[in-house]
Amino acid sequence: MKINRLSQLKIFSAFFVAALSGGVACASDPGVTDTEIVIGLHAPLSGPLAAFGQDPLQAAKMWYEDVNRRGGIHGRKIRVIAEDDKCNANEVGALARKFVTVDKVFMINGGSCTASVVGAQEFVNREKVPFVMLNASGDPAVFPATRYVFGAFPGSQGAIGAGIMGFAVQGLKGKRIAYIAHNDEYGASNYGAAKAYADKAGAQIVAYERIALSITDVTAPMLNVRASNPDVIISAAYPAPAVLIAQKAAEYGMKQPLVQAIQGIPAPEVFAKNVGNNDALKNFYYSAPVNDLPDGPKQIKWLEMYKKAYPDRLVPSVFMVYGISSAMVVTTALEKAGKNLTRERFVDALETVKLDSGIMAAPFEFGKGRRDALRAQSIFKFDGVKSTLMPGFYTWDGSTTSPK
Amino acid sequence: MYGSVSLRQLFPLLALLLGGFFIPMFTNEYYLYLGNVLMMYAVLAIGLDILMGWAGQFAFAHTAFFGLGCYTTALLNIKFGIPFIVGMPIAALLAGAVGVLVAIPATRMRDIYLALATFAFAEGMFWVFNTWEPVTGGSTGLRIISSNVLGFKVSNDVTAFPVSMSLMCLMIAAAMYLSKSRLGREMSAIRDSEHVAMSCGIDVRRTKVIAFGISAIYAGVAGAMFTLAQSFASPEQFGFNTAILVLTMIVVGGMGTLPGVMIGVLILSMLPEVLRTTMRSFQIWQELVYGLILILSIMFMPRGIWGSISGHLKKRELPSKNAKSI
Amino acid sequence: MSSMALYQSIASGIVSGCVYALVALSVVLIFKASDVVNFAGGEFVMLGAYAGLGALTFLEVPYGLAYVIAALALFFIGATFNKVVLDSVLKRAKHGQRTLVAMVIATLGLSYVIKGGVRLFSFTEEVRRLPSAFSGPPIFIGPVVLQWQDIAIVSISLALMLALYIFFQKTLTGKVLRATSQNPRAAALIGIPVQLMQLYSWGLACAIAGVSGVLIGAKLPISPDFGGPIMLLAFAAAIIGGFTSLPGVVIGGILLGIIQNLVGITISSTAIAVTPFVVIMLVLVFRPQGLLGGRHRIKKV
Repeated sequence: MKINRLSQLKIFSAFFVAALSGGVACASDPGVTDTEIVIGLHAPLSGPLAAFGQDPLQAAKMWYEDVNRRGGIHGRKIRVIAEDDKCNANEVGALARKFVTVDKVFMINGGSCTASVVGAQEFVNREKVPFVMLNASGDPAVFPATRYVFGAFPGSQGAIGAGIMGFAVQGLKGKRIAYIAHNDEYGASNYGAAKAYADKAGAQIVAYERIALSITDVTAPMLNVRASNPDVIISAAYPAPAVLIAQKAAEYGMKQPLVQAIQGIPAPEVFAKNVGNNDALKNFYYSAPVNDLPDGPKQIKWLEMYKKAYPDRLVPSVFMVYGISSAMVVTTALEKAGKNLTRERFVDALETVKLDSGIMAAPFEFGKGRRDALRAQSIFKFDGVKSTLMPGFYTWDGSTTSPK
Repeated sequence: MYGSVSLRQLFPLLALLLGGFFIPMFTNEYYLYLGNVLMMYAVLAIGLDILMGWAGQFAFAHTAFFGLGCYTTALLNIKFGIPFIVGMPIAALLAGAVGVLVAIPATRMRDIYLALATFAFAEGMFWVFNTWEPVTGGSTGLRIISSNVLGFKVSNDVTAFPVSMSLMCLMIAAAMYLSKSRLGREMSAIRDSEHVAMSCGIDVRRTKVIAFGISAIYAGVAGAMFTLAQSFASPEQFGFNTAILVLTMIVVGGMGTLPGVMIGVLILSMLPEVLRTTMRSFQIWQELVYGLILILSIMFMPRGIWGSISGHLKKRELPSKNAKSI
Repeated sequence: MSSMALYQSIASGIVSGCVYALVALSVVLIFKASDVVNFAGGEFVMLGAYAGLGALTFLEVPYGLAYVIAALALFFIGATFNKVVLDSVLKRAKHGQRTLVAMVIATLGLSYVIKGGVRLFSFTEEVRRLPSAFSGPPIFIGPVVLQWQDIAIVSISLALMLALYIFFQKTLTGKVLRATSQNPRAAALIGIPVQLMQLYSWGLACAIAGVSGVLIGAKLPISPDFGGPIMLLAFAAAIIGGFTSLPGVVIGGILLGIIQNLVGITISSTAIAVTPFVVIMLVLVFRPQGLLGGRHRIKKV
């Protein structure tokens, strides 16, 4: 039977369109070919905050290489382009544009500093490029949630604030809480969530001391805290002031429990040595997003994996595992997005992620309006020698405003 | 050297201006973004040079006016819907007014005292930007929304580029006119010797205050340009690091000369990118190398890159080469 | 505000003030001797602290030797910088404005070099405090509590200030140094080896910075970025007291430390951060020579 001209044309067009759409759908997004997925990776590798970026970035690379070794994702290997962002919003903005317009990556996985990741937020949403933070808390970039920016793997500052407040109120049965935070975006974010939690739980914040990042004399804030007569003292200070606060609390004879957020105590042994007086740590706790101590049974395998990949790195920082967390979520979502990989499918897949990483206190979870991965924190009791994991995890419900 | 600005001197500016409209058609957003940031720094640096290089006042309050210009332009747009074309002049004039206010006590000071007093002011403003949360967003920062410029919306690097370019060309042209004007001459006189300037009948105090004001206006304009190039403003952008960056730009490039300042801006904007790409395996050394570059440049090129280049050019014109023919 | 809080604020303020004064002493010393402001002064103190910490931790020397090592190392570094960089810069820069700017850039570059250099060691990733040289249970003076290290800081800074004051006012070398800084040409004309004098003063000042570093580092946890903020407070102390007056620097520091604490307990902790800047501006506008700066000197053209 002869197929007439018109039918021939129709059939041919149908094939053509099918072939094109099949091909186009897989090759229409930059950074994806049949054999590879290109990811732009960035973190501070130099400058004052290099310690926050080096290990997490290397850990993420390690994870991607491991995934490649196990066969890749739907037959595609991950190729990483790693850059130094110096924790600077200008740099992150420039890198985002470079990754997208010059390197033509599929997605960006980067950022260790909250202030810097905001620099890329508008651009990636405009260009519809998925952006998954590395180990930044990134509160302003995930609240309010935007479609393409995901983050807060170590917990947002909101989660941290609510976590330590939760422990103070539920775990330590505190009703009068003194809160010390810095006057930067971290302090604003963690205090906001902590206050909302306290208000909901009926506890009162009797002192709120906002201190400068580089403060060297904490006499005045601690005198104010003492005068407010709290049940529990919470500190979200960074390492140097955290030491001074613990010291002064002991000097002024304050016997109340002191709960310190993770940002001030990256290395408990060093912290104890800096404080120099284990009596000061009789009633001392700290929060961390991880589910165990770095050399505990749940964490040791990550440490060993990292040491194998980077034998020169004698003492990896505690932030190292945050990098694995981020990369793990990325590869999980890439897997979920399927063989027909597009940016939109990847973002949709990210939204459905509910992953127990085996690293953090709770599973990572995103959602239709949720872009912060972790909302739970662990609490450890530390006496200067040993850390003990306290039972229960302290979860945040996501609210930053007090109930009316 | 003094007199009026010839059309020939304005020609490169016109070329740049045209480029502002055509370049975005051929370049990707990465380079356009870098360009927008660079042009903003150019205006900022020229402003600082007017105060330091021309009038010889070692004042460090520049970043305060930069921040003031940025927050004002952004907030006028966010809170009152005032478009950029109106907001920018308002911000610039406000910055200029504050600059004059600061100048009144500051012009009584010299050298290190002037530097420290103006630096204290800049840090004080930083504290205000950081603490006045209801207005500036505080440490969490301020989300900048796209603005209208003469009808079209500036919402990305492509649309921002011609606007930034036009502003930069405008400010450069203004600087050229200023340098050839009487006021420009008065500033140079003050830089070289205040006593001599006074004896020539120049009102030293008034000229200094005007220099402060003009410099602050430039910083305000640069702050407005910030809202074109970036989508987010935070107090960090207007702090100590930026002040140092702009200072090094004009000193390394060549203080007191327009070409020098432009070279300094270009080189110091490119430097992080260059360091990043050339020092891949030695990222951690970047800071040290940056410090070394500063030290070496001030040791061997004390008048900046432009100072050295023009110094060499002058040497070549000397007749000593022809001595052989004798 | 209870009287307990008031006395504690004053006592701790005195200690903090002496910390600022220690940092300022080396900067003012260089300024008095060579009319140069060392913007890397804070970094030198930080380097001294790390030198001491390194000596204590890795070489396991007795504490006294740590001070010596820090002092010697920094003497050497300061003198080298003076000889290699500053001499060359000063030769090429003209008088007045150009010199100041050149100095700022040179010492600024030095601060990055020191910071970047210190950061190369992974040991410096964590903030660390030196073990206290003078340890023991805290001292209670009435309701006020202080540490032995605090007492050491106050006494040593007062002693240093006194020693330097006597040096500059009473000894021949000190007077020669002052003359050299006020008028280098005249000094050279009468045979004073100007460059050598300035070399030694840089070395001495940096050695003092080294010792200060070991002292301060035993009280405050240090990091490579420690230098910047403390330098600012040191400047504020020097301005309050009078930039060229050594006793003034100590008094200025003590006043600043006390004022900051009083602001903190009466107004808010947030206001502490802006206090030094407000104080600097007020002093420079209303009494630029500071408390003890004598009459405001107009520089000769």
